[in-house]
Amino acid sequence: MLINGIQIDDTFAEAFNMRGTRIIITAQNLKWAYHAANAMTGFATSVIGCGVEAGIERELSANETPDNRPGVSVLMFAMGSKVLMQQLETRMGQCILTCPTAAAFAGITSEDNISLGKHLRYFGDGYQTSKLINGIRYWRIPVMDGEFLTQETTGMVRAIGGGNFLILATSQPAALAAAETAVEAMKQVPNVIMPFPGGVVRSGSKVGSKYPKMFASTNDAFCPTLKGLVKTELSDEIESVMEIVIDGLTFEDIAESMRVGIQAICNLGVASGVGRISAGNYGGKLGPHLFKLHDILSEKTS
Amino acid sequence: MSALTFTLKKSPASKLDCRQLTPNLLANLTIAEIKNIPLSSQKNAPKVADFFEVTGDDVQTIHFNNATAQLDYIGHHMTIGTIVVEGDCGDYLGANMQGGTIIVKGCANDRLGDQMRRGLILIDGNAGDYCASRMIAGTIGVYGTLGKHVGFAMKRGTILLTQTPKLHATMQNCGTHTLPFLALLFRAFTTLPTMFNTIQSHRVQRYAGDLACDGRGEILVFSSR
Repeated sequence: MLINGIQIDDTFAEAFNMRGTRIIITAQNLKWAYHAANAMTGFATSVIGCGVEAGIERELSANETPDNRPGVSVLMFAMGSKVLMQQLETRMGQCILTCPTAAAFAGITSEDNISLGKHLRYFGDGYQTSKLINGIRYWRIPVMDGEFLTQETTGMVRAIGGGNFLILATSQPAALAAAETAVEAMKQVPNVIMPFPGGVVRSGSKVGSKYPKMFASTNDAFCPTLKGLVKTELSDEIESVMEIVIDGLTFEDIAESMRVGIQAICNLGVASGVGRISAGNYGGKLGPHLFKLHDILSEKTS
Repeated sequence: MSALTFTLKKSPASKLDCRQLTPNLLANLTIAEIKNIPLSSQKNAPKVADFFEVTGDDVQTIHFNNATAQLDYIGHHMTIGTIVVEGDCGDYLGANMQGGTIIVKGCANDRLGDQMRRGLILIDGNAGDYCASRMIAGTIGVYGTLGKHVGFAMKRGTILLTQTPKLHATMQNCGTHTLPFLALLFRAFTTLPTMFNTIQSHRVQRYAGDLACDGRGEILVFSSR
């Protein structure tokens, strides 16, 4: 498949089942909502080392939030419910409770509820009070800037993580510029996050390593400096590869964000330096969800 | 469906006990059965039909029209639904309340919200003595004035006022604050017919108490209406 001179490989991204949640963070102004949300989603690029993958989904205006203050919505994903619960509580305690004027609310409803402020309330040392408003329980915890307000729980849903595509370009600046363009377009798609720095990852991995203790190592087939040494996936003119990884609430959400991102790159044309779009997979044997690039770009997201 | 409405036909000479007329107790009863409910525990107690015209069929929303201070125990042990009192009501409004909402367009009498555990009571007018006495939790708002001994032996819960009442020594002044949860609370009020929707500023003087009884309750007085 060729779009605007850019080749789309006949391959697929392979994704996994995850557990996800959404939290709404509000503050006195957007600046402090971002401080809280950036802290909460910091060091949350990959479940391999961080426990969770998290990111800011979008900005919320004052009339979209429960307490009529500006805010942001955060999506957080983990491989299992236990890790998600642990990580959410830790990050609430260290990042939201600590951030001046910040408050936290559930951003998603589900039959499965996990603690948002349910255990954090004990920080109040007996002075915490709860309020049940329209059937929803909130906790008020006295803190030095006034009162920290948080909803008791948020919903936990089944989600998908690991949707991705690779940008193969003739130079590092060209690959990065294309990746930035794609991420900006993908930020407009709801229910997804790109958890890596700036939404882009340069160190794609393969399963296993020559070192017995390592279970993942560099994806040598896509490393441009190893072109003559390994069974490479890269043609002569490709000098840099970058990957965009997507976690989302549903298959359709991820497929849509991949379509939007790839389309944004293709709109730049081959003159941008991008030669090919590919995707990372493990042969289709590990992950239950396969995002076939050709299907997605012909809007067949079955 | 329209709200189940009890319209007082004549002014009762003695107090009527309305504790049976809550959404949770009236669920699954026919209008005929409701009309036959006694209004006190005494022998030969008057029945609902003796004093009230009963119309409507939605027991989740109950209206008392032409209500007077002779109607005691409205919303007693209520767990769900909404009660709107058009007029005044007697003692023990919302006593032992476990949930739901009570709106009074007139005034309430003594022991409003006595031992209330959960739910919301909003009074447009004044309230009598011992408002929120022995309150366990929940929210009470009185837009008008209060009698004596507000929050006597209250454990937890929130009392919203527009004027500072005379307080016990066991109610402590915690200063003036802008509390974030009030934004959520007042957002929930917007669907209710209450004078509290006219309050513009959420800045409050906070008093905590009753310190003789745990002291985790609070009285919030709005600095301007």
